[in-house]
Amino acid sequence: MTLRTYIISRILLTIPMIFILLTTVFVIMRVLPGDPVLLHFEKIENPEAMEAMRIRLGLDKPLLFQYFDYIIGLFRGDLGKSMQDYSSVSQQIFSAFPATLELAICSMLIAILIGLFLGVESSKAYNTPKDHIIRVFGIVTYAIPVFFLGMVFQMIFGVGLHWLPVGGRIYQGLEPVGLVVGDFQLSTGLYSIDSILEGNVVKFVTALKYLLLPSLTLGLVLCGIFIRLTRSNMFETLRLDFVTAAKARGLNESTVTYGYALRNAFLPVITMMGLQFALLLGGAVLTETTFSWPGLGRYLVDRINFRDYTAIQGVVVVFGIFVAIVSLAVDLLYAYLDPRIRL
Amino acid sequence: MLKLNLKDTKAIGKVMIAAILIVIIAIAGVASYYLYTTQGPKIKDTLIMGTTDSVESCLDPAEAYDFFGFEIIQSLGSPLVEYEAGSTGSMEDIIPALATSWEPSADGLVWTFNLRQGVMFDSSREFTAEDVKYTFDRGIGIADEDGAFVGVGIGDIIDSVTVVSDYVVRFNLKIPFAAFLSLMAFQACYIVDPTYAPMSGASWSIDDIVSYADGDARASNPMGLGPYTLKSWTRVAGKDTKMELEANPLYWNAAAGYPKSKNIVIQFYADSPGLALAMTAGDVDVAFRQLATNDIATMKTNSNLKVWEGTGAFIQYLCLQQDYAPFNDPTVRGAVAAAIDRTALVETVFQGQAQELYSMIPAGMFGHTDAFESYESPNYDLTRELLSYVGYNANNKLEFTLWYETSGHYPQSAQQALMLKEALEESGVISVTLEGRDWAAYRTARQQEIMQAYIMGWYPDYIDPDDYIFPFVHSVGGSWIHHNYASAQMDQLVESARGTTNTAERESLYEDIQDLMVDEVPIIPLYQGGAYAVSKPSVKGIFLDITQNWRHWLVYIEG
Repeated sequence: MTLRTYIISRILLTIPMIFILLTTVFVIMRVLPGDPVLLHFEKIENPEAMEAMRIRLGLDKPLLFQYFDYIIGLFRGDLGKSMQDYSSVSQQIFSAFPATLELAICSMLIAILIGLFLGVESSKAYNTPKDHIIRVFGIVTYAIPVFFLGMVFQMIFGVGLHWLPVGGRIYQGLEPVGLVVGDFQLSTGLYSIDSILEGNVVKFVTALKYLLLPSLTLGLVLCGIFIRLTRSNMFETLRLDFVTAAKARGLNESTVTYGYALRNAFLPVITMMGLQFALLLGGAVLTETTFSWPGLGRYLVDRINFRDYTAIQGVVVVFGIFVAIVSLAVDLLYAYLDPRIRL
Repeated sequence: MLKLNLKDTKAIGKVMIAAILIVIIAIAGVASYYLYTTQGPKIKDTLIMGTTDSVESCLDPAEAYDFFGFEIIQSLGSPLVEYEAGSTGSMEDIIPALATSWEPSADGLVWTFNLRQGVMFDSSREFTAEDVKYTFDRGIGIADEDGAFVGVGIGDIIDSVTVVSDYVVRFNLKIPFAAFLSLMAFQACYIVDPTYAPMSGASWSIDDIVSYADGDARASNPMGLGPYTLKSWTRVAGKDTKMELEANPLYWNAAAGYPKSKNIVIQFYADSPGLALAMTAGDVDVAFRQLATNDIATMKTNSNLKVWEGTGAFIQYLCLQQDYAPFNDPTVRGAVAAAIDRTALVETVFQGQAQELYSMIPAGMFGHTDAFESYESPNYDLTRELLSYVGYNANNKLEFTLWYETSGHYPQSAQQALMLKEALEESGVISVTLEGRDWAAYRTARQQEIMQAYIMGWYPDYIDPDDYIFPFVHSVGGSWIHHNYASAQMDQLVESARGTTNTAERESLYEDIQDLMVDEVPIIPLYQGGAYAVSKPSVKGIFLDITQNWRHWLVYIEG
């Protein structure tokens, strides 16, 4: 199988995955008690007005019609209108997605960096007190509820030390605009990147200050699995002949560990990265609430409460595509790092 | 004695310097006196407010029907009349705003308002009676089911609005409505700016609602004439992330020094712990809504913070399904009413941050009586006695399911339900099963009338006892609550009370209504919530009165 056919087959496999996901959510939402129409009528339950609302929301049609309407819309790139405030779901998701993406990328980076570093250190110090401490750290961070860790950080760094803000995404008025040259504007929606594009150091530092606590929280919770994985892989790799050979040639310790051994021990970590991404999005739902981070996770929770079918379906589709893209990217990276895949 | 020799230039120089110093000191003295007496303490230009609220739909009074939407509408617009800060909700507390005086007709069916002159929307457009008519024709015409015009039934009260002259407007009512002035102070009745709230077709429709427009605060806001203008408003995924209010120089009360703070910046937090932490860390100057009981209790112990306590208008009550047994019998309902331990509820669940409630009309409001105190709280002997009449005893307990809401729509619902269950079962003749649902499922269950007993809550629309009586015990007004209580005698009393403008007569009618409620127990009042805000000690001008109005234009920070 060539790399191209591999990629194409992966993309094609994503489509049924999204369909299964979407169909499941479509059915579950409608099986759950609670009616989006009723939520529009707090006090006066006029049957005619309620029927008009049902028609307005497209809920008067048979379920199968609703399903196919939605699927056809999806192919046109239309995620429908919210059943709560009638706004475009795509627009709302588009507005919230960059915040979640920024949080996810940053958390993943932190998780991998901490995971790799502590994993390597742990494997080098195998069965010593240092190793035990790192292992306990990994287990504790993995087991700790993300909202609890978040609140502890808020108490220490926000309330106690006043170093970092306890919530929100940026100080009002400091939202970066990105790169603006005449009429041309390049903006990613990721505040840290946009502030660099704008060349504004104050905004960049502010964006990082707001980003640090939520991503550190989520990163720490995710790092445990990377520590354990790196540790066990490195433990084996460091005992392989090529490492001994490298050492025998007089290469220094860190070059051997990080330059040679880690690259080999890195492959399972990459696979785990892809798998962890789904977990990361789940964690983002809680982290976003704890840190008042205006992302997709909060949007999803909010809309479940309103039984906003279209909005929930929209978020699930986007999350599904997101996870599919990431796992595809991870596979490609795997292929790049491991020449055997390309054979 | 000092003798001045005019030829001694040195001496002349000294005298001149002394004279100049005296003059400077005198000017400085006068200036500082002037500054002190006319300006008072220095006020910071910008006040940062933190909240967990968010505008639910939009800032159009034809659709908005949520606390925060109303809070902002109140800052961006003006009503004909408003409640004085610190009000107890009495008619006497209603003061002029865009109307300077008013007069009802003898039959209560026509209300005439004289309007303030010289109030400007912008440099060229003056506010007139046409704008009042436009606002009400619009709200009633759009008739959005989500909005307060339909929710409160403003179109069922107002028949038409007539422009008598530029500065005189007349409301012709369909029914005599005693609380009409309160209704005029209600946020749905704030005057819109026709330029920013235009009619798109030949008649009003829901398409004319002014919705949020990304990146264009002016186009997102149909209001005008208020103490503030909307400088910026950003929403991400249907939730507010940024909002700035800027003083409106054309505000009709600007000459009196309002608004106090030039700019209000609102920071949004996801939940109470987030907001409480931001307040404690000093990220915001003032925190208002929704702070949980625990967070308020913690902040009360913090000497760097000031906790403001006020009168709450939020009430919670127990509904009993009267369409079928066992609660179709008033004796059984009375037995339950006698087994409610309000003290435990208020002290344990709300840590004293709420008040026991013995009537549907909250304490501190005109017409309130502690009618349900006759059941005591609790009186288990009475519960046992009443239930024994209908065959229930320790061996044959009254069994029912008590439902509560689980998604945070009401405060501490699960704890409340548990506390009620314990109190009811303490009687020894009642057995309660608890059942929780999230708000959406709870609403469906309410409509399906499958809940035997269920806890509900109420925020008032207009500040009048009518808004605490008509929607609960009137057979038509209370149909939304689905408890199936209907009494011809009650309907007649309620209709009489909302129809008369005679205060003494109304008070007496509300007393009769509350007495009848004790006899028939259509609904059981539980508690009245408190109103809380937390601020830095230098923040002034917060009024938490029964109107629940948050008056941005009065709040300021000294610095």
